[in-house]
Amino acid sequence: MEQANPLRPDGESKGGVLAHLERLETQMSKSRKQSEEPQSVQAQEGALGTKIHKLRHLRDELRAAVRHRQASVKASIANVEPNLAVEMSEQEVLEEKLENVKAVLQAYRFTGLSGKLTSRGVCVCINTAFEGNLLDSYFVDLVIQKPLRIHHHSVPVFIPLEEIAAKYLQTNIQHFLFSLCEYLNAYSGRKYQADRLQSDFAALLTGPLQRNPLCNLLSFTYKLDPGGQSFPFCARLLYKDLTATLPTDVTVTYQGVDALSTSWEEQRASHETLFCMKPLHQVFASFARKGEKLDMSLVS
Amino acid sequence: MVTFQLEFQILEIQNKERLSSAVTDLNIIMEPTECSELSEFVSRAEERKDLFMFFRSLHFFVEWFEYRKRTFKHFKEKYPDAVHLSEGPSSPSIVIRSASQPGFELVIVWRIQIDEDGKVFPKLDLLTKVPQRALELDKNRAIETAPLSFRTLLGVLGIEAALESLIKSLRAEQNG
Repeated sequence: MEQANPLRPDGESKGGVLAHLERLETQMSKSRKQSEEPQSVQAQEGALGTKIHKLRHLRDELRAAVRHRQASVKASIANVEPNLAVEMSEQEVLEEKLENVKAVLQAYRFTGLSGKLTSRGVCVCINTAFEGNLLDSYFVDLVIQKPLRIHHHSVPVFIPLEEIAAKYLQTNIQHFLFSLCEYLNAYSGRKYQADRLQSDFAALLTGPLQRNPLCNLLSFTYKLDPGGQSFPFCARLLYKDLTATLPTDVTVTYQGVDALSTSWEEQRASHETLFCMKPLHQVFASFARKGEKLDMSLVS
Repeated sequence: MVTFQLEFQILEIQNKERLSSAVTDLNIIMEPTECSELSEFVSRAEERKDLFMFFRSLHFFVEWFEYRKRTFKHFKEKYPDAVHLSEGPSSPSIVIRSASQPGFELVIVWRIQIDEDGKVFPKLDLLTKVPQRALELDKNRAIETAPLSFRTLLGVLGIEAALESLIKSLRAEQNG
């Protein structure tokens, strides 16, 4: 296709001169940069050297702190011992040991998985938590027989217990328990996020939070500026991976009639990303913080 | 085996309806030499005070760690002259050499990664070392595409069979 170029006769020579000037200009700025470089390289080296010193110092401080902490832990364990050295009757000594063992067994529940022997077999207790917040516990009562079977349990019906048992219970009981742990912890975590959203951020929701029992499909509408004139966003979070506490699919849509302005469209897109990356209640916490310094120019 | 020291504090608040507990402090001390692959995960667990995730993911990590160790040991014993473990028995990588074709090396790096959610999964990569002359002769760009093809092979054969086939292919030249 022929390109129209009204400037052609003169244009060619103008193009030539202008292009030449441009080339001279870039050459000049390049040579300027090159002469500046050795100096900036030296400055960079100096700065990196100082940084290395600082980091080495920090590393030594941290190592000393670790050693100090290890020593203090050993010391505090050693401090408990002298009490036993005091004269006590055999009975008291045994009772003390029993209390110790009971305490250790109790502490095991903080690993998430603990158990106790029963007349038939073992009762395993699965404790769930989300980011340090201890949540519900569930139990599975196993009968030691061939084949191993579950006598009864408190696992919710929507957790695929039968599937996991069919895969692992007979061949690898450890894997069975840890796999069940994964599902239950993930469910607990999702439930916790949804509960926190409902209780702490009700002000930002413009309608009820819709959720299924498994808490892997959430749907809600929200507004960043509750009193404002803008239309709310509608979010749908799907957690396809039942062992995860972050959603796999997120869609945020706009409920208004008009098309979104660019700034609102950017917000909508950024919200979609945020919901995929951070726990639900933490995303809303950041909304609430930003809301305190809301830029009114965003409100159309 | 992995050894560590754990210190944590739990705050229990009893209000009218329920008892709520939260971990308020978590300190995990693990020797850096023990498992350098774990250090990032350990800091993340400490930051989030996620005591339970620490134990759960640690269990799966150790399972994969032991499996990697066993697999590498198996191949080292089966093909002692071709297979080398660069950093000892717990090495994360394995080097395959052929005595008859010096200059050719296949390095398989098997990392065990723990993602944001505490999920543990293996990540294997193939690195190739070939003499310059061989690169020039390689018209089909087999060397260039090797890392990607390795990933595909893993998906088809699984870890053990993929490793076995690579070792056998490099040794094949030896037996003519």
